[in-house]
Amino acid sequence: MPVTKVLTAGIGEADLRDINVYRSRGGYKQWERAVRELKPADVMEACDKSGLRGRGGAGFPTGRKWSFLPNNGKPRYMVCNCDEAEPGTFKDHMLLEETPHLVLEGILLGAYGIGCTHAYIYIRGEFKRGFAIFQKAIDDARAAGLIGKNILGTGLDIEVTAHRGAGAYICGEETGLLNSLEGKRGEPRLKPPFPAIAGLYGMPTVVNNVETLAYLVPILEKGPEWFASVGTERSKGFKIVSVSGHVQKPGNYEVPIGTTVREIIEIAGGLRPGRKFMAVQPGGQSSACIFEEHLDDPYDYESMAKAGSMLGSGAFTVFDDTTDFVKAALNSVRFYAHESCGQCTPCREGGHWLERVLHRFVEGRGLRSDLAMIGRVSGTITGLNLCALGDSIEPFLKSVVNRFPEQFEARLLKEATPA
Amino acid sequence: MALRQAQGDTGAQGDTGAQGDAFDFAGLAATLRPQCEALVAQYEHSRSALLPIMHLFQDHQGYVSQDAMRFAAELLDLSPAIVESTVSFYTLFFQKPVGKYMLQVCRGLMCEINGADATMEYFREKLGIGHLETTDDGLFSYEEVECLAACDKAPCMQVNLEFLYNLTPAMIDEMLDLMRKGSYHIAPLAQTAKPERTWKVRQDAQVSTGAKSPGTLNATEPNNAGGVGDASGVIMLDRFVTKDIAFTGRSRERLVRDARAVAEIVEEEGANNHAGH
Amino acid sequence: MAEQATDMVKLTIDGVAVEVPKGTLLVEAAKKIKQEIPVYCYHTKLGPAGLCRVCLVEIEGMPKLQIGCNTPVADGMVVHTRNEKVETGRSMILELLLVNHPLDCPICDKGGECDLQDYAMAYGRGASDVADPKQSKPKGVDLGPTIVLDEERCVVCQRCVRFDDIIAGERQLVVKDRGHNDIIATSTGDPYRHNFTGNVTELCPVGALTSKTYRFKSRPWDLNRTQTSCTQCAVGCQQFADVRYGTLVRTMSVESDDAISDGWLCDRGRYNIGYVAAPERLTQPLYKRDGEFVQIGWDDAFALWANAIKDAQSAGKQVGALGGGRLLNEEAYLLQHVFRALGVKNLDWRTGRQLQASPGGAASYEALENAESIVVVGDIPELAPVLWLRAIKAATRKGARLVRVGACGQAPSFAHTDVATAAEAASAVAPQGRVAILWDGSNLEVGKALAAAFAARETLAYIASEQGNARGAEAMGMLPSDGGSDFTKIVADAAGGAYGVLAIFGANPVRNAPNAQDVRAALDATPFVVVSELFMTETAQAATLVLPAKGAYEKSGTVLDIAGDALPVNASLQAPVGALSDLEMLVGLAQHFDLPLPTSEELGAAVIARAAKPLAVTLGDARYATAHALAPSDARSIWDGGGTCAHDERIVTLRREPAKVGA
Repeated sequence: MPVTKVLTAGIGEADLRDINVYRSRGGYKQWERAVRELKPADVMEACDKSGLRGRGGAGFPTGRKWSFLPNNGKPRYMVCNCDEAEPGTFKDHMLLEETPHLVLEGILLGAYGIGCTHAYIYIRGEFKRGFAIFQKAIDDARAAGLIGKNILGTGLDIEVTAHRGAGAYICGEETGLLNSLEGKRGEPRLKPPFPAIAGLYGMPTVVNNVETLAYLVPILEKGPEWFASVGTERSKGFKIVSVSGHVQKPGNYEVPIGTTVREIIEIAGGLRPGRKFMAVQPGGQSSACIFEEHLDDPYDYESMAKAGSMLGSGAFTVFDDTTDFVKAALNSVRFYAHESCGQCTPCREGGHWLERVLHRFVEGRGLRSDLAMIGRVSGTITGLNLCALGDSIEPFLKSVVNRFPEQFEARLLKEATPA
Repeated sequence: MALRQAQGDTGAQGDTGAQGDAFDFAGLAATLRPQCEALVAQYEHSRSALLPIMHLFQDHQGYVSQDAMRFAAELLDLSPAIVESTVSFYTLFFQKPVGKYMLQVCRGLMCEINGADATMEYFREKLGIGHLETTDDGLFSYEEVECLAACDKAPCMQVNLEFLYNLTPAMIDEMLDLMRKGSYHIAPLAQTAKPERTWKVRQDAQVSTGAKSPGTLNATEPNNAGGVGDASGVIMLDRFVTKDIAFTGRSRERLVRDARAVAEIVEEEGANNHAGH
Repeated sequence: MAEQATDMVKLTIDGVAVEVPKGTLLVEAAKKIKQEIPVYCYHTKLGPAGLCRVCLVEIEGMPKLQIGCNTPVADGMVVHTRNEKVETGRSMILELLLVNHPLDCPICDKGGECDLQDYAMAYGRGASDVADPKQSKPKGVDLGPTIVLDEERCVVCQRCVRFDDIIAGERQLVVKDRGHNDIIATSTGDPYRHNFTGNVTELCPVGALTSKTYRFKSRPWDLNRTQTSCTQCAVGCQQFADVRYGTLVRTMSVESDDAISDGWLCDRGRYNIGYVAAPERLTQPLYKRDGEFVQIGWDDAFALWANAIKDAQSAGKQVGALGGGRLLNEEAYLLQHVFRALGVKNLDWRTGRQLQASPGGAASYEALENAESIVVVGDIPELAPVLWLRAIKAATRKGARLVRVGACGQAPSFAHTDVATAAEAASAVAPQGRVAILWDGSNLEVGKALAAAFAARETLAYIASEQGNARGAEAMGMLPSDGGSDFTKIVADAAGGAYGVLAIFGANPVRNAPNAQDVRAALDATPFVVVSELFMTETAQAATLVLPAKGAYEKSGTVLDIAGDALPVNASLQAPVGALSDLEMLVGLAQHFDLPLPTSEELGAAVIARAAKPLAVTLGDARYATAHALAPSDARSIWDGGGTCAHDERIVTLRREPAKVGA
């Protein structure tokens, strides 16, 4: 089984939260090397060459994202997105709490690469403990001269500030995150302008996921070629897959991209005895389910897209035959209705409407016309929204309604006998 | 529902001593001001410190009070309305007092398919309260929250934002027991005011038709026609449930029929209201 | 020409070629070919927000529908606003907006002029699959003294919130909670209250925000609409007066009025209309006999008045006429014309604290908006609210530096500098560019100091105080001439018994003049005092003869605004039977002297000729010096009986105690 340990190396074996333990295992070597020997352009080039793609959900090539920053002399910001709230995803939570210095080193490398002097990490409000752990990591690193003013005596200044959210999934959307970081409601911004042009405080900004930035450390250590040698044609490197649901050993597993869906299920201990596989949601709540016919597809960005879903944040939820997909659909839609920021009409009204309809289904009071309505409304609102949240309602809902129509039909209102 | 009402009443008659002592906000603000200023210094723009400052006050006061919001508005040179608007966006800020133990059970899909429904049911039964409610003794607040990013250890929850994993009824029993005894390992939240039934400033008050949004004065000419109360949807649904009318789009015939049905109901209600007076 | 060509972009909208400047948004470009793209959240003055998603268009080459409000034009763009894909998306948005929107149109104030109604008819599906109860939210929410909010009708376009932030600079109105629980509210316990709240009722595309004064009063199709100029202050905003069967029920802003109001109205201009129907309006001439007022006819009134003037003049007593700052230009002109024809030189409009009218010239409102620096002296936000909006626009969106000298009412929420003297202001303004000076026109020393401090700079002067047509009165010649006495001297001489007749038109100096005590004494010492008024003011009570006048919505003519432009005032109402306009009163008086009067054409021409002449005055001009020259202005007089506010039971609730000024 191709389980690898790159970012996850050492987790569970040593207390990586201790800066001395982290350093004794080669930690901050790449940061020291970057500060002393590398130019920012070298870091950028390594990032670009490695083929690293965003691990937060969209899978956008990281090097290209950096390249959009204009050279206009304005201050630039690196913001690390640790607002991990996509249902089913729990990898950043682990990295933050278990190996905070790796995350910090990644942020520093990213900040150095784009020429930023003040980086921020936005940590989900619920991760109160993770925030404290990371804050300590920053303090320890500062004491060690690794961040702050005149880093390692080179004259370089990079400050890192940890910022804690307060409970809003939408702050994982990069412009919502920036608004929240600015002390505003975490409402996504109207684009254009994109954050690369006008982001935090109106300045050019890159927002990268925790896992994305953390991979910069091994990429610099072992070279971009090493990273690019792993994976499939256009999906390079490794991915931490958060396996959950109906498997025997749920957890985070780091695998080379391209490992098949079936293999990942097996890595996680396989299904519970006597249970039948029904579906996998391969990329978090926003992704459509894939079914048996895709079990042998490689788990990479392209194959998942071809299968009608996406790799997303790497949240991998397995459903066996005990699953009530009507309830699951309600759960998913209710989540989006609850987390809608309320700015734009389709997401605010559509999500809430679908929630109420599905609620009726769960109570056994569905109407036949509702089935058509669910498809029509969820399908039409996709693409009409201000941000991606509203577009995320459809995939899971549509995939299970289409695949398991009998479960929905069974919840239609019983033909009542006239009183 | 009746039970809930009764409990609410006893709660209201219960000890009012806790409410009697006015909280010394000015003292707290003076103590926290240096920390607030340090938070402001972390950022290029002072407004960024709003969330951290609100966290700080909530840690000390147990909730984000009006005083705290006014203090932040003044410190950060914002209008009080802007601060309130921002705070109200985030679910982890409590705008009203909560219990000493904030029990937040994950209702995410990954927990749900691993038995979270039973867990939540168990909590509701054990505590005698529902989602977004606080027990009358002010000890427990209960909320069903979205995915907590610990799906591999489902069902999970947070107590005062500390994680608990792989919940079982036995664990819950022990936990509640220790909390009641005051010997639980997770520290209780600060509690500086007596909690009400819910800490949520509810805007979609389905039941309380007289609800006024915060920030308003006494309405003079309430206009309820078509609104709280626009029961057209309910009426339609009841029609389906009780009279077995297949829904086939809004045909002209159906519109006429519905209109007649509504008229009947309105008449009935009118008669009832009249009898009431 | 060549330059212009490069700045133009050619595109195709619905098959029609359009050429618009670069950077134009599609919603605006479509207007060029008279093609409507529906909008809720977008507003020309507020810009795009991208929230309602109803302005969907298809742009060839883009897979998804785009929003017209935030998409700038591009060369060669091919846009469809009407095809099937667009209509599917658009009808979905409308269906969604109606999921929770109550269908209470028959009792909604907006019904008939509601964008949601209109677009649902034009673009909606006509049917809905909604089979669930609508969400309930608070209704009839009393937001403050002016506005009632129905949360259920709200479509969360946030126009009101953005207005409050961007235009009014107040940030009182915000969105609370999130998702479908979104509500519009103020900070807990705070009423929604500032000088511009009424505008949100017009911005609201649905019936969520409604004016208390108009709520349940009318249907839009029952209204007779007249465009006129607001006479409440010297700004002269254009407004629509909406009359329902002889009752003035509301006034609305004129969105296209870019030159004056920028499309906004202040609450005083919008809501101070109740006075026209106030029961205490005077409707018959009153003559004081043995200390008691008795009702008399107009013929007797004119005869008494004319005889008093004749008696005074034959007895060698002085005659004086005061006022004009609240009259129309035509009336002010005729006032000075008739009295000058009678040989009277003692004329003055300066019966309050304002001593000097705005010079006009280059000082247009748009120039104010584009000035590099703005210096404020006096309570301008209260005295000329909509002018203050321009200052806010300049300071918050166009980078102007705002400097306030002394106490200037409420402090603005945005960056500004407060200084104590004009000299300090001169060093606080931007080093380059024009300096716009907003001054209340009282205390000539301040004017002189300003003139001296900014002598080397290009300045634009705007003088606004409590008299709406001060500039008109000044231009029409309501000033002493040929050795005549000014207001202060008239008062002093009259107190000594030198005057036989004093005529006071539309002024309440007993209340508002800084030397009010002396005025009272002067009126008591004068045997015949004529006062033309709408109400029994303090001055009217001291009169011998009180003449009931018509109000601003009941007569037609012109006024001059601060910038010096003549603006039309059009009658929209019938005056109460028995009231005459000041013009008619002066004609009635003139007939007793067989004075030749100008024809209406001649009067109009004379007014225009005088109005067009720039006032050759400078700030703190020495010729305006009078004995009360040093008195500071006092915006409280607006509410205390200087104008019509005191007689409008609804508007008095809007009063916000202005900070003490110039103390």
